[in-house]
Amino acid sequence: MKLLTHNMLTSHVKGVTKGYPLLIKATEVKVNEVEFNPQFVSRMIPKLEWGALVQAAEELGHRQDLPGELVQDYEKNEDFLKKVHRVLLEVEVIEGCLQCPESGREFPISKGIPNMLLNEDEV
Amino acid sequence: MLYLAYVNSVTYEEEASVPLPEGLVLLEDFVSPEEEALLLAAVDWSSTNEDVTAQKALKHRRVKHYGFEFRYDNNNVDKDKPLPAGIPAECLPVLERCLRNGQINVMPDQLTVNQYESGQGIPPHVDTHSAFEDTILSLSLGAKTVMEFRHPDGRVVAVVLPGRSLLVMKSESRYLWTHGITPRKFDMVPACEQQSPDHVTPEPGTCSNLTLSKRGTRTSFTFRKIRPEPCRCAFPSACDSQGAPSTLSPSTPSPPALPCCHADAARLEEEYVHRVYDAIASHFSSTRHSPWPRVCHFLSSLPPGSVLADVGCGNGKYLGVNSEMIAVGCDRSSALVQICAERGFHAFVSDALNVPLRTASCDACISIAVIHHFSTEERRLAAMRELVRLLKPGGHALIYVWAFEQEYNKQRSKYLKDHNKEHNGKENLTKNTSEDRREPHGKSAIQNSGHLEEGYEPVGKVTDGKLSVHTNRTAFNTQDLLVPWHLKEGKKPGEEESGDGVKRNKRKEKSKKVLTNQTRIDSNPGLSPGFDASMSPGLRLDTDDATHSPGSKPSPSGTTQTSSSHLKSESESHLTAVFHRYYHVFHQGELEQLCSQVGGVKVQSSYHDQGNWCVILEKD
Repeated sequence: MKLLTHNMLTSHVKGVTKGYPLLIKATEVKVNEVEFNPQFVSRMIPKLEWGALVQAAEELGHRQDLPGELVQDYEKNEDFLKKVHRVLLEVEVIEGCLQCPESGREFPISKGIPNMLLNEDEV
Repeated sequence: MLYLAYVNSVTYEEEASVPLPEGLVLLEDFVSPEEEALLLAAVDWSSTNEDVTAQKALKHRRVKHYGFEFRYDNNNVDKDKPLPAGIPAECLPVLERCLRNGQINVMPDQLTVNQYESGQGIPPHVDTHSAFEDTILSLSLGAKTVMEFRHPDGRVVAVVLPGRSLLVMKSESRYLWTHGITPRKFDMVPACEQQSPDHVTPEPGTCSNLTLSKRGTRTSFTFRKIRPEPCRCAFPSACDSQGAPSTLSPSTPSPPALPCCHADAARLEEEYVHRVYDAIASHFSSTRHSPWPRVCHFLSSLPPGSVLADVGCGNGKYLGVNSEMIAVGCDRSSALVQICAERGFHAFVSDALNVPLRTASCDACISIAVIHHFSTEERRLAAMRELVRLLKPGGHALIYVWAFEQEYNKQRSKYLKDHNKEHNGKENLTKNTSEDRREPHGKSAIQNSGHLEEGYEPVGKVTDGKLSVHTNRTAFNTQDLLVPWHLKEGKKPGEEESGDGVKRNKRKEKSKKVLTNQTRIDSNPGLSPGFDASMSPGLRLDTDDATHSPGSKPSPSGTTQTSSSHLKSESESHLTAVFHRYYHVFHQGELEQLCSQVGGVKVQSSYHDQGNWCVILEKD
């Protein structure tokens, strides 16, 4: 699971109102090399929850020097975009789980894939 | 000028009186009107809200269980999972009366309440031997009805069940005769109520006139005792414990019926959708590498940087179509999501009814060949609502579902065309399908509610309400069906076989067969969802129902072998696995009709694309 996916996922356990962002508990993290497309990254940024991304990167120990707030004029800041690219698309959780911040319910991540299926009684 | 005349009653002649089935006793006025009211009030229908709504949507009788749940997917009881609610206390006086009178020797521990509105019924069936002990009590409340008993030798006895009567089924009437209630709004009953009108053929010399009796809403309370050990009755031909071929067996479960509640729907989909896809995932994926042009067009016209959710993404076929979009996919099958991950796509496992993405977080959504796997209208609607929930205002959703009408504008879909290519000269099929195009069969069209009076739920050829197995590459004649998928496990062509000339010849034949498959399949890229059979070379995959010749009716074994998977050995001495996937194919307009129930969204365009009905929705 890459952090782009994590940024979009939310807990959907019945009754939960504050299910975003999910907490990450990783036991295996990998960093891949992914082709850098500055334009694509630049377009992704406005669609992200920046705070959740920074928090997630922090949880994985991969935040490095990613700023807590979005920088101004990031579109032309290749350095910044590279940092975002790395954190969003190169860092990958292979094993671990996602935890609902409100209910504590854990969703397993296995072979890089989060399983968000709920049980009958949680729907 | 039209004159209407009517009669009060009709003379009915019968040579001799017909006795009730052996073991059947009908006791009238078993409960008083006050007791009847109390019992009816004891049922809280609202507590099974979701199920009741699904039942209503399907125009089904309402059902509620106490003590143990009777499952309609395998026609048995889960004896290890008692329900939280036992038989309501209000029923005790009636049951104690039965004990005192000797109708029963032990207290029942299971109750099924059925509520039939006028026009509803229940298909003929024998209560599962292994689930319940001999005596079954059925109390009729609210209105009378006519129940038909059928013996294997063909005898039919229609029994009027007056309101407040108790029917006691024992022995032959319980174990061998089937009982059912024809879905009707009127019954023919004896005209003179004073004579014991317990069945339609009264004693000779008594009143023998019939009249129409309008049905009211009847609620039956059926009390049964769970059977802990296998059944050892004297009627093995109808006994599942004793291996009767016509009954359930663990390895080939009987064909499912259309579900009447979410739990049954989920179980049916688990068996006939999810387990199948997980089992066939890699082969399925290999036949799904040609994205459909019009879907690609939709995706490519999204502005760069658009966030797209592909709900039911399968092997991720569409996730990489537009490199400018931020695409995330989800699917119910972990095996298929695994393939997405291997391809570097963003994907997770989830159910389409409950997508773990935030509301209004997507610029666009697609759901291609997904919603037709949901087995109730309510669930299909819920899936659509989820898609719409994900959309930002102004966002668009593209939905594709398999169409009942495989021929449209005189163009046969590739799904059908492919069939005819193989079988030139067989005119019958062509004729049938062009007729089928305009008129969906009355029995199968859910919209034709008038036909519900004639037969049971429109679920296909088998008239006991069970799902039938479709013959691949032929026109559909029912909306809800099981579609076969053949998975051949065999040697790839060209692979060396040890030994002699005989085997070499065999191999040649096999290779030939594979080439034939490939030729046929490669010439038809981008088929309808069930049969996109573009294959990578070397993989043996026959997606046709190879055992049935086109146009002919499936053999009896074909229609009854409806477990989601089973193995057959073929003459080439390797095994073919057959999987059955559940589909609800859509009628023209049905998808739009579903959309109109969603709210906050409008249909921007709708079209037919290669055997699919498609809509593009725009969120307000």
